[in-house]
Amino acid sequence: MAVLEVEGLKKSYGQLEALKGVNFKVDQGEIFGLIGPNGAGKTTTLRVVATLLTPSAGRVTFMGFDLKKNPEKFREKISYLPEEAGAYRNMRGQDYLEFMARFYARNQEEVKEYVSRGQQISDLGVRLKDKVGTYSKGMTRKLLLARALMTKPALAILDEPTSGLDVINSLEVRETIKNFVKQGISVLLSSHNMLEVEFLSDRVALIDQGQILDSGTPQQLKDKYQALNLEIVFKNAVRSSL
Amino acid sequence: MKNFSHLLVKEIKELVNKQLIISLAMMLLIFGFIGNVTKKEMKKAIAKQKIAVLDLDRSELSRNLIGTLNMASFIIEEQSGEKEEVIQKLRQSDLGLLVVIPPGFSQEVSDFKPVEVETYSYLRSISISGTRTSEVVKALLDTTNDFLSNQYLKKRLPDINPAEIKSPIKNREFIIVKDRMAEGSSAAVIGTLYLQSYLLPIILMMIIMYSSQMVITAIAMEKQNKTLETLLTVPISRQAIALAKMLAAGLVGLLSAAIYLYGFQMAFSFPTDELSSASGGLAPILKQLGLTIDTQGYVLFGLSLFLAILCALSIATVLGVLAEDYRTAQSLNIPLVFLILVPYFISLFADINTMSLPAKILVLAIPFSHPFFAMQNMMFGHMGMFWLGLAYNLVFVTVMLIWTTRIFATDRVLTMKLKWGKKKVVL
Repeated sequence: MAVLEVEGLKKSYGQLEALKGVNFKVDQGEIFGLIGPNGAGKTTTLRVVATLLTPSAGRVTFMGFDLKKNPEKFREKISYLPEEAGAYRNMRGQDYLEFMARFYARNQEEVKEYVSRGQQISDLGVRLKDKVGTYSKGMTRKLLLARALMTKPALAILDEPTSGLDVINSLEVRETIKNFVKQGISVLLSSHNMLEVEFLSDRVALIDQGQILDSGTPQQLKDKYQALNLEIVFKNAVRSSL
Repeated sequence: MKNFSHLLVKEIKELVNKQLIISLAMMLLIFGFIGNVTKKEMKKAIAKQKIAVLDLDRSELSRNLIGTLNMASFIIEEQSGEKEEVIQKLRQSDLGLLVVIPPGFSQEVSDFKPVEVETYSYLRSISISGTRTSEVVKALLDTTNDFLSNQYLKKRLPDINPAEIKSPIKNREFIIVKDRMAEGSSAAVIGTLYLQSYLLPIILMMIIMYSSQMVITAIAMEKQNKTLETLLTVPISRQAIALAKMLAAGLVGLLSAAIYLYGFQMAFSFPTDELSSASGGLAPILKQLGLTIDTQGYVLFGLSLFLAILCALSIATVLGVLAEDYRTAQSLNIPLVFLILVPYFISLFADINTMSLPAKILVLAIPFSHPFFAMQNMMFGHMGMFWLGLAYNLVFVTVMLIWTTRIFATDRVLTMKLKWGKKKVVL
């Protein structure tokens, strides 16, 4: 069953058409990956779904809510991790998690529950008592990922979740996302690292120049384009679209 | 509402950081120190002045003159010896003034010939007490001349009071404000009003400047630290985000201004004993002239100030959205500061009502101008001007708040930026 439906999504900045009619669906409990090169329209798509940008045309519905009509209701069910996100440098990690949890929690018990889950996901231990300003890039990213997942959103939108991380931290973040989906949440993620998307995603969509070229499970796409990995799939898909 | 107060607390905590607390504490310390030193200097300046007198005449008249000076505000330290020796000796002392009564002083006075009394001022610093020397010389000469002319007049016209001859015209001064009239000194009334209100423009300027700078910085820092995008996707309305930032900046700006003002008062307040007694004496006159503000007046003034702060905050919020980082935010704040300084200086040094019409319109088009002139307008009965200012600010605030919340509700909060190279705003 599709929880997110994107139909004919267009987004223009003046003369520039960033999205030219994007269509895809995300099912409940699946990780859906958008892959494409820089400037393909991945981040714009995610920003529209995250209610940061208003679509120029098309429709986005999530669990029956129309994004354009009710963005605030939409925000209660989603969480968004931007590619270049930061946390408040003067707050302690622990306080940051609590600050964000309060927006979603209905009572104090839920705040505690979310924060406790956030501590677990971040795996930062005692460093959560330190100010965010003292964290490394990897630690900040883990904190932000914990923030995005701790409230168990119906849809987590993750833009380049391992952006700027070293190999070890990237592996840990991927593992966390994979494990978390088992609890029933859906994930829409983007990456230009196609191997990462192949590892994480149940289904992927290939996006280039603001258009979806193809979509399916990684295996279906590899079979269709007779390729060993998604990088070759993408190359072949771009070639056949010309 | 729960989320709004939660966000408001966070915004206040972000603004009241270690840097702000340290800078305010340092400012209080520095102002306290300046105040301490200045007050000591002023006390020295106000205290009775010690002067040296060399009486080379040694006559009854010269002794009487020294006695008169002693009874006036001088402490006399008499010198003896040759003039050059005394001048040389005093170079090593802390005395600032030497008065030399020449030989033959009494004789010259008796012959109604002009007498030359020499004064030597020793300049050792440019402190307040140091600069008092010229005033002391003038006071000394006035006292001396008064003494001598009284002597002449008493000798020639023993039955008449010398003061009546010297000032035959007496003046009864009346002040008229609109349809009210009272007897009193206009200079004293204006002086008292000025002293009572000299702090008001400073308070206004500080509150508006602090608040606007805080909100610009708060938004710019969200952008610089890449926290804005996340904040915009949490379940709280965009209007609430904008309002929380404005309200927090307004409150912290108000607090900072109050602390700044306290420090300012510590550093630059005058010894108020004489001033307060003077204004206390003038209080009935001020009341009679309607130059006092009642509770209703203060409420109206508060309203005018509140609207001006909202104007500043809404402009600053838009400027904050235009800024990409903290540095750009500081640059964008400069034109706003200039706009605040215009009514500040005009309220201190000029009369808005006597300015040319175009200049007046330009000044009053600045929304922060109105509270600067609100008190004056209320006191002098220019209520039309006051209400017009209030209405203008209300319209301005409404338009700006609608625009600001619209910016926050759309993509523009992320895409709007100032392009310095092309010198145009991309909306």
